[in-house]
Amino acid sequence: MAPKAVAPAIVDGDPQTYENENVHAIYDKIASHFSSTRYKPWPIISVFMSSIPTGWIGLDAGTGNGKYLPLPLDRPSDILTIGLDRSINLLRLARHAGESRATREVVWGDVLGHCWRPGVFDYAISIATIHHLATHERRIEAVKRLLESVDPQHGRILIYVWAIEQDELSKRQIPTGDDDSDRRGKDVVVPWVLSQPAEPARRGGSEAPTEQRVFNRYYHMFAKGELSGLVHGAAADLGMHVGEPSALASKQLHPIRGVEIVQDGWERSNYYVELRCWQTSE
Amino acid sequence: MVRLITHNLLACHVKGCTSNNFPLQFRDVQIELREAEFNPDFLRGFMPKLEWKALVDASRQLGDTSLPPEVPEMLDDDFLKNLHHVLLEIHVEEGVMTCPNCRHEYPILNGIPNMLLAEHEIG
Repeated sequence: MAPKAVAPAIVDGDPQTYENENVHAIYDKIASHFSSTRYKPWPIISVFMSSIPTGWIGLDAGTGNGKYLPLPLDRPSDILTIGLDRSINLLRLARHAGESRATREVVWGDVLGHCWRPGVFDYAISIATIHHLATHERRIEAVKRLLESVDPQHGRILIYVWAIEQDELSKRQIPTGDDDSDRRGKDVVVPWVLSQPAEPARRGGSEAPTEQRVFNRYYHMFAKGELSGLVHGAAADLGMHVGEPSALASKQLHPIRGVEIVQDGWERSNYYVELRCWQTSE
Repeated sequence: MVRLITHNLLACHVKGCTSNNFPLQFRDVQIELREAEFNPDFLRGFMPKLEWKALVDASRQLGDTSLPPEVPEMLDDDFLKNLHHVLLEIHVEEGVMTCPNCRHEYPILNGIPNMLLAEHEIG
């Protein structure tokens, strides 16, 4: 397959409207085809899910077709992950994600919403989602929602986003520019080519029974360090420290909330961070 | 999908609606029962997260009266099996969840609750 061209994008107007048109509406149209290409969990995410203790409940913010909801495969009923997504057509697939076809818990909502009791989840994952938010501020808000959704004392979080730095196996060709995208990331649109049966009226004879439509999805490609920068920004807004709990004196008049960045890495064209929340006792 | 385990986590998030916004009240529900794997260790681990009264009230709204009004001291198998059924085997397929505070209505269609808000309702 020829490399797919990735074109620069300019986000203008209201970011919510922009996302509605350039992200949400597209996923609803390509849901079924998209889902058929997204079935294999990435290894670091599987390892994270396998490390979750029995009895914990979690949020998958931007669950897509729900491919992480059945994890861990060797003890699936030990934990429960609830999937949240903006695309109703992806959720309909997520509802029956996994080989067992068991019914999954899914909720139609926005990752910037907060439709949960605060801190009620033990863990949260957000995989390939935050890069669809169209401004830096909205991406910080999304990380804040994750920090607010998990238990202040032990909540664990894993976030994956698309990186400017692509691996050599990637099909993408990324436009290069002389701007400061190395530091601030890059706004692009990525084409999704959807083959579908042509409408009968338009079929001319026996050939070309399918027609192709191209949908350009908006992405913010992250620069190195940008994802952990969002964590710092979100933590600052919430009055949380970033770092290890031991770095602070334990004798505090008021409990202090913090978040430790346990992992900050790059894997196969994506940046990821793993976070662990902590709180000192009074 | 709205099982009672999810219902016990959901709260209204309309702008300014920050107190008495839990639990959402069921109305006009259609339910289906589906067996799920019984895992007592999961239930024991999850119990500290539960808002017990909200769960008991919601289960009664759905016609199940197997749970006691207070959490029992002994978490024996009979109790855990009832809890398992209430949390994980009753599926609300259709209906409405209403906020007890601002009366906002969250519809459930084909088993999926719609927690999206209109732009002017977002806090």
